[in-house]
Order: sequence, then C-alpha cells, then structure tokens
Amino acid sequence: MIVFDLMLAAAILVAGWSALSAPDRTGAIAGFLVFGLLVALSWVRLDAPDVALAEAAIGSGLTGALMLRAAGRMAPPAADRVPRAQRAAAALLACGLAGGLAVAVMDLPGATIVYDPLVRADLGQSGVSNPVTAVLLNFRAWDTLLEMAVLLAALVLVAALGPRGTPRPARLGPLYTPFLRIMAPLSVLVAGHLLWLGATAPGGAFQAGAVLCGGLLALYFGGALRPAAVPAGPLWALCAAGVAVFAAAALAAEVLTGTLLAYPDGADKIWILAIEGGLTVSIGATLLLLFTGLRQGGARA
Amino acid sequence: MTPFPFPDLTPQLIYHLAGAALVGIALYRGATSSDLLTRILALNVLSVGIAAVFVAAANRGAGAVPDPVPHAFVLTGIVVLVAVTAALLALAERIDLTGAKSDD
Amino acid sequence: MMVLTLLGHLLIAGGVVLLLLAALGLWRFPDLHTRLHALTKADTAGVALVALGAGLLSGSAATLVPLTLCAVLVAISGATTGHLIARSALDEEHASWRSTRHDSV
Repeated sequence: MIVFDLMLAAAILVAGWSALSAPDRTGAIAGFLVFGLLVALSWVRLDAPDVALAEAAIGSGLTGALMLRAAGRMAPPAADRVPRAQRAAAALLACGLAGGLAVAVMDLPGATIVYDPLVRADLGQSGVSNPVTAVLLNFRAWDTLLEMAVLLAALVLVAALGPRGTPRPARLGPLYTPFLRIMAPLSVLVAGHLLWLGATAPGGAFQAGAVLCGGLLALYFGGALRPAAVPAGPLWALCAAGVAVFAAAALAAEVLTGTLLAYPDGADKIWILAIEGGLTVSIGATLLLLFTGLRQGGARA
Repeated sequence: MTPFPFPDLTPQLIYHLAGAALVGIALYRGATSSDLLTRILALNVLSVGIAAVFVAAANRGAGAVPDPVPHAFVLTGIVVLVAVTAALLALAERIDLTGAKSDD
Repeated sequence: MMVLTLLGHLLIAGGVVLLLLAALGLWRFPDLHTRLHALTKADTAGVALVALGAGLLSGSAATLVPLTLCAVLVAISGATTGHLIARSALDEEHASWRSTRHDSV
C-alpha cells in the first residue's frame, strides 16, 4: 500500500502545480478541483474522514465553484511579468521554507501529541463519542463560535463589494427539473443525517451545512431560488442565526453552570445538537449567499 | 510490510513531505504570479499544504486512533479559508473592474 | 461468506477496469462529445461496481445500503451533468455556426 501512497502524493503535487501554472483559468481551476479531491483521499488514508469530507465539499467543491464564477467575470489573465532575479529569489526562499517545514516537524516526534490524553480523559463527559465533534462543539467551542463570526464578516464584505447583476437566464433543458426534484429534498435529508451522525461518526454541522448549500445551489441554478428577489433582512437573520444560537447557548450555560460554554451535566448531547442545528442552517445559507451575493437595499438590484 | 528500499517510509511521512512541498510550490507561485486569481489559488494550496502537515502529524500509524485536536484545527481552517477566499474574490473582481476601466 | 468476498473483489476489479477505460477515453478521444460518451457511461458503471463490491466486502447491510444509494446518486448526477455539458457545448457550436450571439435568445 505504500506504493499507492507514493503515487497519490505525486499526483497531489502534480495537480497542485498544474492548478498554479496552467495558462488559462478554466484549466487552473479544474486542476485545483482535482487537487482538492486527491488531498481529501489522502486524508482518508491518514484516518481523518471528518476533515476529508469537509475538504472535498467545501475546500474543493465550493471553493472551485466560487473561483469559476469569479473567473467568468474577470478579464483573462495577463502574462507573468516578474523579473528573473525575483523569481530565483522566490524559488530559493520557498524551497528553504518548505525544507525547513519538512525537517522541523520530522525532528520533533510527539511534539504535536499534547492534547490527545486530555481529550481521551474527558470524552466520556462530552456527550458525543466522535472526538472531533467533542473538540469543536464542547472542549474548544469558543473557536467554533468565533469561526461563525468570521463567516458572517466575510459575507458582510462580499455583500458590500460583490457585483450584483441578474443571473444569466438558465437554459438547462428538460432533464434538470426531474434532477432537482430528486436532489433538493435529498440534500436536506443527507444534511440531517450527517448532522445526527456527527455525534458518533464522521460528520457534523460543517459537512451538513456544505451539503445543504449544495442543494440550495442546485435550486439557484434551476431558477427556483432567487436570493436577489428576497428582501435582505430575513436572509441576514438566517445567516446570523448560527452565531445567535451559539452565543445564546454560551450565555445560558453561563447562567446555569457558572462557566461560559460549559453545558449542564448529562445534557451535553442535546445542547450540542441544538447548537449544531442552528449552525447547519446558518452555514448553508451563508455559503449560498457568498456565492450568489445579496441585494443591497434594492438600490442595485 | 512489503519489502521496499526505504523501510521507514510510512504514509504519515509521505504526506507530511508532500504537505511541505505544497507549501513551497504555493509560496513560489504566490510570489511570482501577477494574476490575482492565481495568487488566491496559491493561498488555497498553501493552506491545504499546512493542513496536510497537521493531519499527518495527528496520525499515529495504522490501527491507532489519531489525535482529534489537529483535525478540529484543520476543519476550522477549511471553513475560514472558504470565507476568506470568497471575500478575496469579491475584492479581486472589483480590482479587475476598476483596472480595466483605468486602462482604457 | 467466501463467495461474497470473492464476488466483492471481482466487482471492484471490474469497476476499476471501467474507470481506467473512462480515463483512457477522456485522454485519447478527440472532442468533447466523444469524451463525454466515454466518461459518463464507463464512469457511472465503474463507480457503481466499486460501491457494490465494497458493500459486499463489508458484509453488513448498514454499509451496503448507503453505498448503493451513493452509486444511484452518482448515476443520476452523472447523467444530468453530462447532458448539461453536451447541451451547452451544442448551444455554443450552434451559435458560432450561425455566427449569432446565443445569449440574445
């Protein structure tokens, strides 16, 4: 199997290089999509299925879609005009940093294994048996709360900057509507499944939110969902729901237990699922609007 | 294990080195490309390279349960990165638009 | 159990061969339509065979059912996206042939 790992690592490097050096944008983005999926595969090999799911859905799929949409709106790329000396210096520095990174972590066996015993000791009290979910929603829930705030901040920036324009008239043919009839409800079902599964197996709010966003995007392309036609207020409320639910839970926990984000004993799982439910809806809506943009007070619809 | 010239070669080591190489590739292209979209792609590849180093470090060999904390870091990183990418693309589109106007 | 294991390995091997053929077609065929032809059929069947084989190898219905569902979903979305790609390519060819702008329709 080590031969497979070597081939996969080589393929990842080739795909990564082609994503960054293809002369045309479509080729570069196609390279990036392949790159993301191969990396997700390599993370399954390293026993990290939670991360692999998120990378395949968000890091590769959704980022690729965002890139393609932006590439369609931008002028074709100009040729690189960087002087030879600067390129040589960049190559030297990049090689040095990459080599340093390779050696540094190899020299310190066990340096990263600091948190593991702590997680294992407290996993029984976290309310869930998937250690990644326990870390994200219980032990380090602070990080996740702030992460939701980052998503919201990015949406504010995109809404302020992003070009509006009506979407192109869709000419998707007779097969697309039956496709939507199957996929859109199924995406909700799969999102709910991933959300529930996250407590005990790979999955959770972020993977579920990404699947939900996929279903919403399919509806958007079919013309069944038009965020630009909806008043911005309710959409913002939907996107802020994740932060709001999370913050409310943090404050309620403070009142009940005296510690911020320390859930009452024995009820951890219910608290985590309630928060994750809010997060899933919010992540799905935010990711969709990062792609489609928002109407600004009707001024530039 | 299968006989192989490097008996110490493990999946963990292979993907760790691949991650470091990705960081190098991404830094080089990020510094030498004059195209905004390529630079944003380079930032994404850079982030994936660092995530690969994290995920490889969390691995404890076949059969052993990996460390969940680096996994949680990487998951958070992926979501933050897509938010940053969307924001950067909106900025790049705006720069592209104004650049095209001022060139005319 | 032996028969199921053997069958699982055979299905996976068949699926891998089909996926290889799909990749070969994508690489060697001259234009978009022939490439799509190779990709959509061989790819869908290949994924379905690998999924079924892996499900049989796992030996549990709880694994086989989601894997089968995945294969069905890949078939549906593969067929639809193949159709959409071919359709948009035909639209563009038509547009350049009549030298009119197709987005004016």
